[in-house]
Amino acid sequence: MSARVEGLELRPLKLPPHERHVLSNGLTLHVVPRAQLPLVSVKLMMNAGSAFDPTGKQGVADFASRLLRRGAAGKSADAISEAVEFVGASVGGYANEENVIVALSTPAKHLAAMLGVFADVALAPEFPEAEVELLRRRTLAQLQNELDDPGDLAEKGYSRAVWGMHPFGLPTSGTMVSVQGLGRADLVHFHKTRLGPQVAQLFVVGDVTSRQVLPLVERAFGKWTGGPAQRPQPPAWPGLSKPRPVLVIDKPEQTQVQLRIGAVGVRRGHPDHFPISMMNAVLGGSFTSRLITEIRVKRGLSYGAGSSWDMMSGAGTFSVSSFTKTESINTLVDVALAEVKKMRERGPTAQELSTVQRYVAGLYPSRVETNEAVSSAIADIEHYGLPADWVSEYRARVVAVTREQAAQAARTYLPDRERALVFVGNAKQLLKRVQRYGDVEVLTPDALG
Amino acid sequence: MPRPSARKPTLPSHLQALADSVIEHTLKNGLKIRLLPSDGVPTCSFYTFFKVGARNERPGITGISHLFEHMMFNGAKKYGPGQFDKVLEANGGTSNAYTSNDVTVYYEDFMAEALERVIDLESDRMRSLQVTPKMLESERQVVKEERLLRVDNEISGLLDEELSSLVWKAHPYRWPVIGWMRDIENIRREDCLEYFRTYYAPNNATIYVSGDFDPKRALAWLTKYYGAIPKGPPVPSVVDAEPEQKGERRSEVHHPAQAPTVMVAWRGPACANPDTLTLDVLQYALSVGQSSRLTRALVFEQEACVSVGVDWAWRFDQGAFMVAMELKPGGSPKAAEDALYAELLRVAKDGLTQAEVEKAKNNLEAHLLRELATNNGRAHALGTYETMLGDWRAGLALVSRYAAVTPAMVQDVAKRYLTPLRRSVVTLVPTQEGAAPQGVAA
Repeated sequence: MSARVEGLELRPLKLPPHERHVLSNGLTLHVVPRAQLPLVSVKLMMNAGSAFDPTGKQGVADFASRLLRRGAAGKSADAISEAVEFVGASVGGYANEENVIVALSTPAKHLAAMLGVFADVALAPEFPEAEVELLRRRTLAQLQNELDDPGDLAEKGYSRAVWGMHPFGLPTSGTMVSVQGLGRADLVHFHKTRLGPQVAQLFVVGDVTSRQVLPLVERAFGKWTGGPAQRPQPPAWPGLSKPRPVLVIDKPEQTQVQLRIGAVGVRRGHPDHFPISMMNAVLGGSFTSRLITEIRVKRGLSYGAGSSWDMMSGAGTFSVSSFTKTESINTLVDVALAEVKKMRERGPTAQELSTVQRYVAGLYPSRVETNEAVSSAIADIEHYGLPADWVSEYRARVVAVTREQAAQAARTYLPDRERALVFVGNAKQLLKRVQRYGDVEVLTPDALG
Repeated sequence: MPRPSARKPTLPSHLQALADSVIEHTLKNGLKIRLLPSDGVPTCSFYTFFKVGARNERPGITGISHLFEHMMFNGAKKYGPGQFDKVLEANGGTSNAYTSNDVTVYYEDFMAEALERVIDLESDRMRSLQVTPKMLESERQVVKEERLLRVDNEISGLLDEELSSLVWKAHPYRWPVIGWMRDIENIRREDCLEYFRTYYAPNNATIYVSGDFDPKRALAWLTKYYGAIPKGPPVPSVVDAEPEQKGERRSEVHHPAQAPTVMVAWRGPACANPDTLTLDVLQYALSVGQSSRLTRALVFEQEACVSVGVDWAWRFDQGAFMVAMELKPGGSPKAAEDALYAELLRVAKDGLTQAEVEKAKNNLEAHLLRELATNNGRAHALGTYETMLGDWRAGLALVSRYAAVTPAMVQDVAKRYLTPLRRSVVTLVPTQEGAAPQGVAA
């Protein structure tokens, strides 16, 4: 593909070689040697995220992942922490909706030793009873303390209003009730049945060579067996359960309201990815976006405003986020909805499109500048089945988008009448202001789990 | 500035290569320039450090440094209102800025081809920023929303603000960087203009350019665009009138919350004091990683709190060594405080082990290395080092300076600084959401 944006010369990205090896047990290893700094990033991605937690055991993937380093292969939590942290490395696990991630960052000279500890933690965790109970108490406290954060509540409310009961909308770390119900047996079962080499990929990026890494990985992961033979698939999503839900989360002490507008979006790897991205950059994905201009620059209504597309496997959502003092909430909603409508009806101008193409393409190289970023980019390609030249051709695809394609994407994918509104603030002051947008449901923060 | 060691420290090869690549220059108007060419990715970062922050303010105009940071994006002579970000984005770039107690820092990340345009944009606003009444009013509203977001509606913001005003009685560190709401509302255009003339002159700034560019051409452009900007007046010095603290100070914040929080700060040294680096080691030993002293003892063993963080931020004048403990709902602030003090007392009495000190140094080294992984990170790191330590070389040599810190030195700073007489304590007392504030019945 050739660049069509005038005066924009895309110098080639110097991409380090990406080598791929499949071990005999099915584990795929990716190695990217980058020697700028004596550091290595290691990431194990397993298709076992929270969306696949069984009903009633919500949060088990994340809970188990965070416990991996708290006792494994005959070593205590303290021994593992001491070994890793003494050399300036870090290791840890967590789950997102689709995957369990175990990550290691280490000075290159300690890679061999750290990879051993990393494998112990990922493959042979012991989930000691005392650690299970301790993490349960901490998790319950943290879940409760999160109810104080209005931005966090807005995200939770948004997930509930848009995704409904689809597993992508349920909290990754579970609810107070589900976490109460998790026992050691659940964690052991999770580890045995949902993790395994055939649903896993290992990424090693940094100051290493394949020759160095292969034997280390073979030794540490070569004997790993069991787990699922195929990656699980999330259920289909029928879209919003109600056409125009309005949700108010009551935080009586707030003098500012958090706003989210939500709607159905597209899956990751959608053929219209680039037209949608460019259109969105104009709408609310850059600092000169229409939302920033209308909300912040012209009206001083807020410090921030933006729109984004959360693209997952098989489905995705669209959102607009902002906040303002309670008295200005209607102006904020009206301005935001009007901008979405205007974009849907008329698309971006040629000038706007060309600006964001230069903006996104020009800065793209800095999105693959660190070991962790390279690792994430490759992991995305693998997980979402993106084209293998995703990184090298990203800028060319950005600049190839035409105004008509971007306008068509706006018409097709931006919401019209079906959208959710979520407010976090003083419900008493908000009710009379937001009733005009639809049937209002008021929830207390703890009702969000 | 920390005492330079007698012999020149040898740097590891990757740091030596970075040090060797830096080109330094000072224009006639006093503007300092540091060029860090490299060819990892075809982008550049452009940083401007101004030595001005909340520290240079006075009561009545608190928050002006930060409000002014916002105004810097609202138009100059050549590139008018709204143009800065538009032109930058159209050139494959993005910008941002931050204000701290001590400095105001602006940066652009952009595709390498746009360097001359970025120099043009940045020099335009240093030369001829326009502060129109209309833009000032609009930006004032934005900053008020930012304050509502970060302070008035966020518990950690409320507590930070309370703690600073407790730790410092006379020094400008006592007010929040974002400023008091009434001051934000009342800052006048003339205040802004005077601020600009005084603090945004070339002699109070240093520029760092990092990334894929030709240093010769860059220097020519910098000279062309910045060279004619006149030197400003000498920057007024800030008097550190902070009196000696004579005993523990305590305060409470009553606010709707799920659980109590405890924040404790001890008066610490200025960043030029050699103790600063020893306190860095102590900070890491106490709180970085699950095996660190405080995390292991307070979170995992005693469950006195859900999380504990230590913040020892370098400052021009005497700073503060801060500990924040997030409790579980119903948790006892008193018990958490006692547990914290017991651990710190143990450090002061028995010191840290050699292994703990080594571990802290290894983590500091890994942290410094990660900062240098990007064009942006390198420019920012060198800027921070030079601003705070007086020379960026001192920053690259930090690892060897940390190497000289012994367990006895760490024990000594713990003993001298973390004493009850030097501490201030703020407790968040949770109230029921929506409940009327408690008071004495009339």
